[in-house]
Amino acid sequence: MANELTLSVNGAPQVVAVAPETPLLFVLRNELKLTGPRLGCGMAQCGACAVLLDGEEVRACITPVSYAVGKKVTTIEGLPAVWAAEKHLSEADAAKTLHPVQQAWIDEQVPQCGYCQSGMMIAAVELLANTPNPTVAQIKDAFTNKAPSPHLCRCGTYVAIIDAVQRAAKAMSV
Amino acid sequence: MTITRRGFVKMGGALFVSFAVPARFSALAAAAQSSLDPAQLASWLEIRSDNTIVMRTGRTETGTGMSGYYPQVVAEELRVRPETISLIMGDTDQTPDGGYSAGFLSGMENARKVAAYAYQALLQLAATRIGAPVGDLSVRDGIVSGGGKSVSYGQLVEGQHLDLKIPIKGELAKADPAAWVGITTLDGLTVTGEPPLTQLSQCKVIGTSNPMPGIPDKVTGKTQWSCDVTLPGMLQARMIRPATLGSTLISVGDVDKKQFPTAEIVKKGNLVAVLSPSEVEAIGAARAVAAATKWSDWAGLPGSDNVTKIFRAYKWNAPSESRGKAADVTAAFAKASKTISASYEQPYTRHAPIGPFVAVADVRSDGCVTIWTHSSQSQGLRARIAYLLGTTTEHVVVRWLDHSGQYGRTTFGGDGAESDAAILSQLTGKPVRVQWTLQEDLAWSSVSPAWVSDVKLGLDANGRVIALHSSFYSPHMMDPRPLGALLAGMPCATSKPGNWVATEWPYDKIQDRLEDAYGMPNLGAETPSGGLRGNIMRTPGQRQQNFALEGLINEAAASAKADPIGFRLSHTTDQRLIDLLNATAKAAGWEPRPSPKRNARKTGTSAVTGRGSCIMLRANAWWVGIAEIAVIPATGVVQVTKFTIGAEPGKIINPRQLDRCMKSGVVMGLSEALKEEVTFDAGKVTSTNWDRYKILTMEETPEIKVVQISRDDKGFGGGSEAANAVVSPAVAAAFFDATGVHARRIPLTPAYVTTLLKS
Repeated sequence: MANELTLSVNGAPQVVAVAPETPLLFVLRNELKLTGPRLGCGMAQCGACAVLLDGEEVRACITPVSYAVGKKVTTIEGLPAVWAAEKHLSEADAAKTLHPVQQAWIDEQVPQCGYCQSGMMIAAVELLANTPNPTVAQIKDAFTNKAPSPHLCRCGTYVAIIDAVQRAAKAMSV
Repeated sequence: MTITRRGFVKMGGALFVSFAVPARFSALAAAAQSSLDPAQLASWLEIRSDNTIVMRTGRTETGTGMSGYYPQVVAEELRVRPETISLIMGDTDQTPDGGYSAGFLSGMENARKVAAYAYQALLQLAATRIGAPVGDLSVRDGIVSGGGKSVSYGQLVEGQHLDLKIPIKGELAKADPAAWVGITTLDGLTVTGEPPLTQLSQCKVIGTSNPMPGIPDKVTGKTQWSCDVTLPGMLQARMIRPATLGSTLISVGDVDKKQFPTAEIVKKGNLVAVLSPSEVEAIGAARAVAAATKWSDWAGLPGSDNVTKIFRAYKWNAPSESRGKAADVTAAFAKASKTISASYEQPYTRHAPIGPFVAVADVRSDGCVTIWTHSSQSQGLRARIAYLLGTTTEHVVVRWLDHSGQYGRTTFGGDGAESDAAILSQLTGKPVRVQWTLQEDLAWSSVSPAWVSDVKLGLDANGRVIALHSSFYSPHMMDPRPLGALLAGMPCATSKPGNWVATEWPYDKIQDRLEDAYGMPNLGAETPSGGLRGNIMRTPGQRQQNFALEGLINEAAASAKADPIGFRLSHTTDQRLIDLLNATAKAAGWEPRPSPKRNARKTGTSAVTGRGSCIMLRANAWWVGIAEIAVIPATGVVQVTKFTIGAEPGKIINPRQLDRCMKSGVVMGLSEALKEEVTFDAGKVTSTNWDRYKILTMEETPEIKVVQISRDDKGFGGGSEAANAVVSPAVAAAFFDATGVHARRIPLTPAYVTTLLKS
């Protein structure tokens, strides 16, 4: 049955009336109209739906919305604000500044179809928070071997992603 | 070309506006608005008073950068900056030309010519305005200058209507069950005539790395994808598919209204769906209903392990295409000192996008139909939907939005969720969104069929190839019929079983050759679902046929104890190929020597390395692939450690996007070479998740080195698609180099490799 749940999504409180076991992905997409995370496999095998919960990547397609209560949910729509807060940017600067990971994804022209890239950027943000200057091997390991599954890209943009993660790492260390 | 000035007709501050552009998601008001007049410049190109430009093409972005290339070619002819051009793609009521999205070269020619016609018209307008002859004018960034004066395009056209006729030929797609793939044309309209075009050597925008315009919105979450479309009153649907490819419906389970109060079952024939205004409720109810739904048994598939056996036993008809002169080839083989022959094969594979099919349909009681799609053939889809619903194409509008790459499966405008959505919308009288699941997509979408190919070469006394005969056998790959229409038993235009010779001949010194391609119906073709519906997939036909052709060329080089690249150089006089082979070999650090290498081995627990090469000619573009691999014979694990890829596609339009497409194409090719296989039992596909249909991961991606050669004297070639097709032959050649054993089947899985090395 639907309960009222209060979530913290991209820095703002959100009240939703949904059953607690509803996958977070459908709450974000259908109730809150945050369409950055997308449905891929629906069983935590691809990463297209990845979001951050208190800075840690989860697969929104299998995460019950109740699990997100009391935690900070971040989607790609909220990444610029995360960076602005981290860097104490003025409101004017924040409005025109993307998260360095997003900027690197643009500068390196990473997306081909782009369907998986929201999840890829979420994985990159998490990686760079823990490993500020990752080697190629560390990047490959993070995108492949971290539970619950590899982040899959069918267009084959893996090389571009590695380039972009390294570019973002440089930008973030300045 | 005629230009008439109609004076100051104020129409939205733009010159070339002769129609209203409907809001993106608004339903169609009248059927009369469903097409543009392709003879009007305004249907293709619109110059706004702020000096920005809107360009329209029925073709779409498929993930290979076309949305960046189109503005480049238009900007080049109009002498404007590409970022001032915005694109409208794929909407059948907002674009003039139709055509298939992968056919960028023909789409680009249309765009270039339209821009060139418009440029000439603008120069004439400017000459009048400025009072200087056209020959004295120059244009930069959309500002025309001459005689000490200047005027922008925007100023020239403000408040006026320029009635410029664009000469065209061809027609938009119509459904036709007798036609090749069930629609009359893939190409759409062609702009004719020969307006003066910029010489390739003089290009300033073509040849630069213009970014893909959609990327900033994609990385910030602003893009509206086809999966994001919502309409007032829309129902969410989940499909309940048959138990096997051949099952028919016995009975549908009930909906528990206490648990799922808004869920409804809708069925027609063997098409079963559960619909609800709530997506989550539709998912839950569909799961419950599916468990209680009964289907008949069927066990008509051979099982994926037996496919080659079935193909060998099949009584193939005459080749559906045969290229070459049989008598000359027979005579050439009679002169040969030696012949070598081998058979190559590959199991079923599939497109397997990360995002499963999704579509929204709104079938109105007044007969107007709107479809929201990510198909890469909007006009073909429009024709098929009209045929399905028994209406005219004028009543159907197809709106295109971004989605997961499709890698060819929507090129014919068939395969997809659109027919499911249209049928359900017609039955419910409401807009319906159909979202397939991954399991459903990996089980029920069309496939790239398995194949076998027998190749025979005749060699002269020096080991050089003087004759070739190849025979390619496969279920056809031109069946784009949509599943929903098939299961519902509704009209869907069919295709003819047959195959084609897809190679473009790369060795001009090998003259005597006969290439035969044989087709057969889908496995399970007799079932209501059509069975394993064969469809084209990235670099179709040529990808498969090149694996066999280049495989045997590598075997011939080994037979002649020749360096494989030197052997290829000795079979061509084409300087383009020679230049690319040399440049790519140099970049790879290739040392000439025969394969296998001296210390090749097929046993042991430590890795043995090897390198291999291959070439391809496709769509006026030359390709070279060089693989370096490490094999552990005891475990059968093959790791590709480095891949060097070279391309010479005439004039390179966008070096960075080509670089990206080459590298990602190599990833897709490696995935196919090492991992991909659709498995099925006697009734159904069993590789229905990412653990069972394995694709390459980031960790398995090697260093990829790119070599590009751009030239101004050979026009444009196809660059975005074909990189995947020069991977498998190079990897197999590297495997032979390392082990001394020919791998004539892909994927090179540990199980296959260990069996192969023990035999």
